[in-house]
Amino acid sequence: MCILCGEFVTRIHWTEKHAEDRARASTDAGAKDESRRNRRRERTRRAAVTNQVLRHYGLNVCDWSGTKYILRDGKGRSELVQDLGSLWPVAQKLTGRPLDPLDPALHAALREAPAISSIANGE
Amino acid sequence: MTIVTGFLGSGKTTLLSKVLSAPSMASTAVLVNEFGKVGLDHHLLRRADEKTVLLEHGCVCCTTREDLVGALLELLDEEDKGWISPLDRVVVETTGLADPTPILFTVFSHPVLQHHYFVNLVIVTVDAVNGELHLDHNPESTKQVAAADVVVLTKTDVAKTGAVDPLRARLRTINPSAHTIEAPFRQVDPEELLRPAAKWSPNGTRDVLGHGANRLAPSPEDLAVRDKAARHVSQTHSTSLTFDGPVDWVAFGTWLSMLLHARGEDVLRVKGLLDVGEAGPVLLNGVQYVMHPPDHLGGWPDEDRRSRIVFITRGVRSEELLASLEAFRGIIKAGPRLLEANAPV
Repeated sequence: MCILCGEFVTRIHWTEKHAEDRARASTDAGAKDESRRNRRRERTRRAAVTNQVLRHYGLNVCDWSGTKYILRDGKGRSELVQDLGSLWPVAQKLTGRPLDPLDPALHAALREAPAISSIANGE
Repeated sequence: MTIVTGFLGSGKTTLLSKVLSAPSMASTAVLVNEFGKVGLDHHLLRRADEKTVLLEHGCVCCTTREDLVGALLELLDEEDKGWISPLDRVVVETTGLADPTPILFTVFSHPVLQHHYFVNLVIVTVDAVNGELHLDHNPESTKQVAAADVVVLTKTDVAKTGAVDPLRARLRTINPSAHTIEAPFRQVDPEELLRPAAKWSPNGTRDVLGHGANRLAPSPEDLAVRDKAARHVSQTHSTSLTFDGPVDWVAFGTWLSMLLHARGEDVLRVKGLLDVGEAGPVLLNGVQYVMHPPDHLGGWPDEDRRSRIVFITRGVRSEELLASLEAFRGIIKAGPRLLEANAPV
């Protein structure tokens, strides 16, 4: 159960499965702490990487207490999403246009704005 | 859990009746949609009528098979109570027109089932006599082949001489990642059929991705056969690619999840090994919107440590996938390299 919203979380998205499994498999306290830190780092990095794509659509995402992500647009609207599986449909709803990685306009935008490796690495 | 599907009359039940008679299958439960004319004689045979529940705003693949949920939970309960002996495997036989994707979605998304079952193989039977006809006229048949880990060519004993080669080439064009087994009437080795994908041969990764996925330059003869086969496949493309270095797993997940959001219905299959810069690769396996939980392997199955991924798409061209991955190069940290593409002519 999500302690913030009381919602039962029964599905772990495939992009987060490995980090979640590792965190759950840790037994001793030290390993548990390390797994938790790795999980948080991965979530931060996922948000940073996704932001490089969302920038083209005027959107931004950040981790929200390690349990959800918060998606915002330039008009100040925000939505909570559970994972990348639910992020894209909500992002599409906010922008009102399809988000498609095969879109040449997105490709051009990505080429013009090279990846910021320090952000992508969560540093 | 093993899913057996295939078009009407393609020999699913005949295949199952042979496989289930093997002593090694004693701890296997079987869920069938209907008790057909060919009787399946197995002590753990259950009927599960297809009852699909479409989720709100859901697509066809994101439907829950409530009948399966009930039957699989019942098996767990009976096993727990000691009413049946511990199970090694559950085989689910679908109807001929069934799309296997909702079965995958059901198992991966159910809060209990996802912790007790995993789908190890999707087996698809294709009739060597009528297979071409089924593929010509029924898009469901093409989708079933695209979803297959193993394609069993049945009735090869009654097919005309030389008639099987074009069908074999066509199946390879649709799904280069599938392992093909030929099964004349009831002649199939259960052990070979149910062998996990990664163990099909010592030359492991060739089999994970299909027999031709590693070849950078197919022979002119191969190309001629595939071009001919591809004409039949209309809008179905298969693209085998690698990367010029280890990919960033988190970033690749962002790209693939976005692709599945936008084009999931047309991404009939994604399968492969991805070099993420760790000791072993990530085993990717997805059917339309539904991804198997990625398996982070402890080591590579052979000496070849390159990423190798196959995309089977409907209406999405290889060039489009490559252009997208090329544009994402800065994020994914590696650029795509085409290994092989079978495009409609």
